[in-house]
Amino acid sequence: MASMATTTSSTSSVWEKEAGEIRKPGIIHVVILALFTGIGIVVGTFGSLAVPIGFVSAFWPGQAVQSIGSIWFGGWGAISAFLFPLISNSLSGSAPLPVSIAYIPGNLAQGIIAAIAFRAFKSDPSLRTSKDWVVWILLGAILPNAIGAIWGTGVLVAFGLVTSAAAVTTVLGWFIGNSIPSIILGSIVLKFVSPLVLRSKAFCKGWWA
Amino acid sequence: MAITAEAPGGARAAKMRKTLLGYVPIESPFYRYHPVTRLVLFVFIGVVPIFIDMPEINFALVVLTILLLLWGKADLKRLRIYMPMIVTIAIFMFLVVFLAPGNDPTYTPVRIGPATIYYQPVFFTFASYWRLMAMLFGTILYFSTNRERDMLVALRSLKLPFIASYVVGFSIRAAGMFMEDFSTIREAEQARGLDKSALKLADQVKLYVMYLVPLFSIALRRADEISHALFARGYNFTGKVGRGDKRSDYILTKYTMTKADWAWVTGLVLAFVAAAVAEYGYGGFRLVHSPINILLRQALGIG
Repeated sequence: MASMATTTSSTSSVWEKEAGEIRKPGIIHVVILALFTGIGIVVGTFGSLAVPIGFVSAFWPGQAVQSIGSIWFGGWGAISAFLFPLISNSLSGSAPLPVSIAYIPGNLAQGIIAAIAFRAFKSDPSLRTSKDWVVWILLGAILPNAIGAIWGTGVLVAFGLVTSAAAVTTVLGWFIGNSIPSIILGSIVLKFVSPLVLRSKAFCKGWWA
Repeated sequence: MAITAEAPGGARAAKMRKTLLGYVPIESPFYRYHPVTRLVLFVFIGVVPIFIDMPEINFALVVLTILLLLWGKADLKRLRIYMPMIVTIAIFMFLVVFLAPGNDPTYTPVRIGPATIYYQPVFFTFASYWRLMAMLFGTILYFSTNRERDMLVALRSLKLPFIASYVVGFSIRAAGMFMEDFSTIREAEQARGLDKSALKLADQVKLYVMYLVPLFSIALRRADEISHALFARGYNFTGKVGRGDKRSDYILTKYTMTKADWAWVTGLVLAFVAAAVAEYGYGGFRLVHSPINILLRQALGIG
């Protein structure tokens, strides 16, 4: 019981400001936005080229980068979440620019839902408790990927790249192809890198700082 | 970044430019044009297929793009990395339309051996495939012949706010830095005796995932270093100097729009608008006008 109380106290402190603490967006946040977008470009491009099955990849870990970026860096991570696929899709050839632009709301959702959930439920990005794991897997990986798959397939149908009769098959392929690597990769990165990020100046307790 | 060679007199002269997808000779005709002109060409070839349903025109755009790549002296061998994507996209699209053709009673069944396909959704998919290819080749053309610097100049010339152009330019440069970090990590593993070819697929995936831990750690350290460096040089969100004046943009002084640039930009913008009006105003590029579609429908006796 005592250990539970300690854990609860430490998880809530991740998002709560210290007494007198003032946090303002700074140039480091712009830099981390650019650097994180760079990581996303590499991860997204490699993922798309690794096991391509048409417009979706059987292994696209980019969604994990979208979610964890938004968890750690709030709005900056959310911007990165929709910015890097514009470039990585172009470089990998998995989607042309107009299609990538239409993906933006889906990509934004794939990033921002996890950020909202972790802040709302005061979950620790280092995944210390079972509650943190549940929030991460359900609201950081499964729900965002479900929304992303539905939106993305809608875009493909709207662009005439997939017939509406094939929409359900595409949604399922998209959802599974993104969710599994997101859970595996995202869990490892959150578990091992979050302690470093939480100590850095770039970490955002709020949305912009 | 450029590849250099020994010039007469011992000076080092640049021969090649490193673009986002490879190297292009410095005397490539593309570099006679302003980065804005190249960006407008990208928008034209990359976006105009949206207005065009006819596969013949989209196929012609793909051929035009390949000719432009040849004219621009880009190395076409680099396009090999896209071959799996080009093939799998076709397999994906046609497999999906074969497995889920829809149940419209007006569709015309066509028997091919033991299989039955439906003409209308298959031809629609054929046309969509070439539209997608035209857009993809437009994107490949741009990234094959332009550097991150060209993109930055184009965006700043179009008056994009400093912070936005900085993020776009630095993101692409950061991707290059992380590719180098990624190579360093892999080489370090090989130096310690890792034989990747001996690993099972599941272990290779696990290894790929584990690469991200050091990459993120490097990113955090680098963010600190770069933000301190920018702060020391007086950079801020607005791109203005301390007294509120606009920071001078040195890079833009190196490029000027010529009459040829203005002519191309005007021509491409007008052609773009004309294509949009032709399609949405008059349905000029719809599938009913496709000669291949007309021939096939006649052959199959579809009214």
